[in-house]
Amino acid sequence: MSWWLLTFSRGGPAAYLSHLDTARAVQRTFARAGVPIALSQGMRPKPRISLPLPLPVGAVGCEELAVVEVPDDLPGPAAALRELRASAPPGLTPLSIVVSGEQHPRPQAREASYACVLEGDAGAVRAAVERYATEVSVVRERQSPKGRRTLDLKEYVVHAAAEPAPGGTRLSFAIRYRDDGAARPQEFIDLIATWAGVEPVMCGLERRRVTWKGMPPGPSPAAGRSVSP
Amino acid sequence: MNALVPGSLDSCSEDWFPDEVARLLARVTRPGRYTGGEFNLRLKPGASPRIVLSYPDVYEIGISNPGLQILYAHLNDATPAAAERAYCPWPDMAALMRARDVPLWTLETMEPVAGCDLWGFTLPHELTYTNVLEMLDLADVPLHAAGRGEGDPIVLGGGPAVADPWPLAPFFDAFFIGEVEHRLDEIVEALAAPSRAVRLQALAAVPGMWLPGLSEGPAQRQVFTAFSSTPPVLRPLVPVLEAVHDRAIVEVMRGCTAGCRFCQAGMWYRPVRERPVELVVAAAEQLLGETGCDEVSLLSLSSCDYSGVQEALTSIRALRPGVRVSLPSLRIDSAAESLGRFAADQRGSVTLAPEAGTQELRDAINKGVDDAQFEEAVRATFAGGFTGLKLYFMIGLPGETDADVAGIARMAGTAARLAKQIARGRARLSVAVSSYVPKAHTPFQLEPFAGAAVLRHRQQLLRDAMPRNVRVSFHDVAASLVEATLARGGPGSHRLVEEAWRRGARFDGWSEHFHFPLWEGAAAAAGIELGAADLHSEKTLPWESAVAAGVTRAFLSEERARGARGELTEDCRDGRCATCGVCGGGVEMDVLP
Repeated sequence: MSWWLLTFSRGGPAAYLSHLDTARAVQRTFARAGVPIALSQGMRPKPRISLPLPLPVGAVGCEELAVVEVPDDLPGPAAALRELRASAPPGLTPLSIVVSGEQHPRPQAREASYACVLEGDAGAVRAAVERYATEVSVVRERQSPKGRRTLDLKEYVVHAAAEPAPGGTRLSFAIRYRDDGAARPQEFIDLIATWAGVEPVMCGLERRRVTWKGMPPGPSPAAGRSVSP
Repeated sequence: MNALVPGSLDSCSEDWFPDEVARLLARVTRPGRYTGGEFNLRLKPGASPRIVLSYPDVYEIGISNPGLQILYAHLNDATPAAAERAYCPWPDMAALMRARDVPLWTLETMEPVAGCDLWGFTLPHELTYTNVLEMLDLADVPLHAAGRGEGDPIVLGGGPAVADPWPLAPFFDAFFIGEVEHRLDEIVEALAAPSRAVRLQALAAVPGMWLPGLSEGPAQRQVFTAFSSTPPVLRPLVPVLEAVHDRAIVEVMRGCTAGCRFCQAGMWYRPVRERPVELVVAAAEQLLGETGCDEVSLLSLSSCDYSGVQEALTSIRALRPGVRVSLPSLRIDSAAESLGRFAADQRGSVTLAPEAGTQELRDAINKGVDDAQFEEAVRATFAGGFTGLKLYFMIGLPGETDADVAGIARMAGTAARLAKQIARGRARLSVAVSSYVPKAHTPFQLEPFAGAAVLRHRQQLLRDAMPRNVRVSFHDVAASLVEATLARGGPGSHRLVEEAWRRGARFDGWSEHFHFPLWEGAAAAAGIELGAADLHSEKTLPWESAVAAGVTRAFLSEERARGARGELTEDCRDGRCATCGVCGGGVEMDVLP
């Protein structure tokens, strides 16, 4: 068995899938392409596939990552990539495959850059972003089934910027993933929207790039993108 | 650290959706319901005519309907038409669409539904009727056919609920009665006519078409006689959003002649036609590749009656050892044998449907199952390692007494005892009890609905008598009352549907959305008694004036009388012809040798 790192983009209709639905769509793409995924051991074997960094529902992902274990006797990754591209659903585009080897790779996201468009008063959104830059600490509370947690957005959200865009203001920012977790994109967007007095609903949330720790050497997603599907 | 960071990666977004749609998608639950993007999606830009296919329920239910898949595949792959789809928007989306004045769009092109040439609805059951009106309204298509003009689509209804089309008659331009596969080409050709009036005339000439107010007599239910020689859908849409069913489907057989007297499908889809095993196995092989599924379901009304079931199961397993093969419906009298066909790795739950609690009542409904067969089936379930058993019963059947209902609890008790003996506490046992609703074109079509008071009394009887370790669930009596009213509605019954919709009724099949007071108010306003069928004249029943189902009134009456006497009628594929009236004129039973 060996591990592959598949980079893919998620857009169009696929952008509106949940994390689990996205994982199932990738898994089904492998099955349709005739590229088998190894199964786990035990009473109820499961395909050995994981998407290490969930993407919010509605968000476009330019270079998403799937970690997949495959049998050794497969044709090369180039042939597999061709088949995967032909078998993927609309909006989900396999970009590149890096063969990682027999060791299970456990890539960890370090930083991801996001962008979206907020409707409403552009000046107010810009002012909110400027205010964020000057704040020393912006503590927010998160309620989840696991309990209540506070986090300081300033420790996680960096490089915030606002610029005019069709339909509103383009808000761009990066999220740092630390050992103690990360902020969610919506948490920062909600903050800016609240400060700006605009509706916290954005269009076209996009995760543009992700930097990873623990990634084996290989061709970059950008190289993968240069091959036409 | 090995970072995969491209030098300059700009936005990878593309404009897939119109701005107004994208803004709605950002504000609703499960936006993937409205975006399409399935595997095997067909796009035919510029094709004509443009047909929209709809199932009047939420996406996750509608995408799992095999009938719509047949129409979608055939229209797109074998005719010049482009077939697109729209499902009923969930209330949060519907509210936003109205607030922002965005009309219903199709999942293929995001273009408004209202611009199509033909809008076809598959009508599955009565509790989806208000959703039809909701969709027409959201699409800005006039609710009443009489109000539609040259630029409006022709609205066509089909599916099992058109057995009695009256409750929806004024909202549809036409209904197609029966199986439509072999008539699709004629329908597409009819749409080429230059004006709406001429298109409707051309459609009226298609066999099986009934146009309210225009057709002079009932439409003859159509039977797809080439079923056995035609492959099933080989490239179905596969949803990327989690749907209620996630498996490849091969329809192995159409029709069922077991003759259960309460069953509308058993009367409606006659005669039995079977696909050859080679066709079934080849289809399963191709479907598994096209869908990426790891389970294939051999679909029919009674799959263990399919003559080639053993050979098909064996062959599919030999070809694809890791694949699960499921039979969606098991008959109790052959369940023990059927369950033995499953491989040891295919464990899960089994559903058995004794339907009634005593031998007398089971004989009256022609469900010829005895207690010994039931026990044998339950033993086979647990001895075979299945970990769940669901028993399905009905209450409110004609001639039912409290003693029959007590019999349900006794049977559940037997199953619970066997579960404890054989599965040693590892098995789950549940009982689902629905309320019987008499349907058109069945032997019980003239029987009264049991009524809310009787049904509630018998539900309580069952609650009290059911063993403690058995989970029992009931259908909502109020919803059954509405269903019973619409299942045998006559001309004028549409007023109830329209009034209920105007008062806010939507998704009535969903318990969290069904509000009985809306229906009570609507019934009062429409002057309709809930639960009463339109049986003013037994000479010609309302549904018989629109639909000639094939089974004759004489056969249905005789079956009703035999039921009252507790006499069984044997399955005509095993014994003598019951002279139901379906066969003849090119329509014949077509079973494997």
